[in-house]
Amino acid sequence: MTSETTPLRVRSGFGQELDAITLERARRGDMDACAAIYRKFGTPCFNLALRILGDRAAAEDVVQEVFLKMMNTLPGFRGDAPFGVWLKRMTANATIDTLRAGQRFADEDPEALFASMASRNVDADLRVDAWTLLMRLPPRARAVLVLHELEGYTHKELSDLFGQSESYSKSILARALKKLGDADESGRNAGGLAAVASNA
Amino acid sequence: MNNETLHPVLAELPVFEPDTALWSRIAAAHESATKPARPMPRRRPWRLAAGFATAAALVVAVIAALPRNDVEPGALVEGQSESQTLESEWRALTPVANRPAASLARLHMIDAALQAAYDRGAEPAELKPLWQQRNDALRGLILVARTDEVTRI
Repeated sequence: MTSETTPLRVRSGFGQELDAITLERARRGDMDACAAIYRKFGTPCFNLALRILGDRAAAEDVVQEVFLKMMNTLPGFRGDAPFGVWLKRMTANATIDTLRAGQRFADEDPEALFASMASRNVDADLRVDAWTLLMRLPPRARAVLVLHELEGYTHKELSDLFGQSESYSKSILARALKKLGDADESGRNAGGLAAVASNA
Repeated sequence: MNNETLHPVLAELPVFEPDTALWSRIAAAHESATKPARPMPRRRPWRLAAGFATAAALVVAVIAALPRNDVEPGALVEGQSESQTLESEWRALTPVANRPAASLARLHMIDAALQAAYDRGAEPAELKPLWQQRNDALRGLILVARTDEVTRI
């Protein structure tokens, strides 16, 4: 698989429509409308952060930060992009900032990024699921994979987000996919979830 | 791994729900961040006056409770009487022309202090030492006058 994969844009939930009345009420500071937005987009926000950070408490902190920021900046939301896209970008930015703050972005070199997990290949005897496979990747690789494959970020957008070149995120993505493939193959041999997924 | 194999794996990713209390925490944080600081209640004039009255009453009570250096009214009268006697004696001994200006200046200062104390209604405890000072000054003047008289003889 190359970096030119067609992103998978399912499951994220940011593509949901938000009706104009709720948006306008929220823009005026109506907390019931804000609560309605949370009920619609809180879970997608949480899962985006959780899939990258791998930590439930940290992901909830991101959701809180994003919704507080949303309520503060909503009056200035011009509607140039769909609301879900706007909120997704805020969530991605807050998540990446959390990764940076936690020094989990230390390795800039893709080679070094994956070196630490070289000895952590899937145990052939272990049945693995998709979550376990994802969590075995380094945080930055998870971020690239999730944002590109699940949330539809382009490599240009990823390069802006990470402050790196496009080839950097392409390299990370290619390595992440290879690691996943290796792990998936091991899981398949072990009769794990990947085997089930491939039959689906 | 390619699209055909990756996407089914990613599609298997579970969807987790955040803590059910998370929105409550967010709403509370938003409220505390946007709620303006509680304004200071406007101070009403009658409350200000009542405050001053209370403070004044407290000062009066404290002063009343302070141990007083009570001076018997008789002692004050005695000092005044003695002063009159001493002054008469001094005037008899010293003609107006011979009265030394420096000695008179001290007497005049004490008299001014006494006058001011009486004008503001000073207590006997404050007046008594002033009368004593005046009498001491007069004794000094009398002593000087007698000495001059002996010298002249």
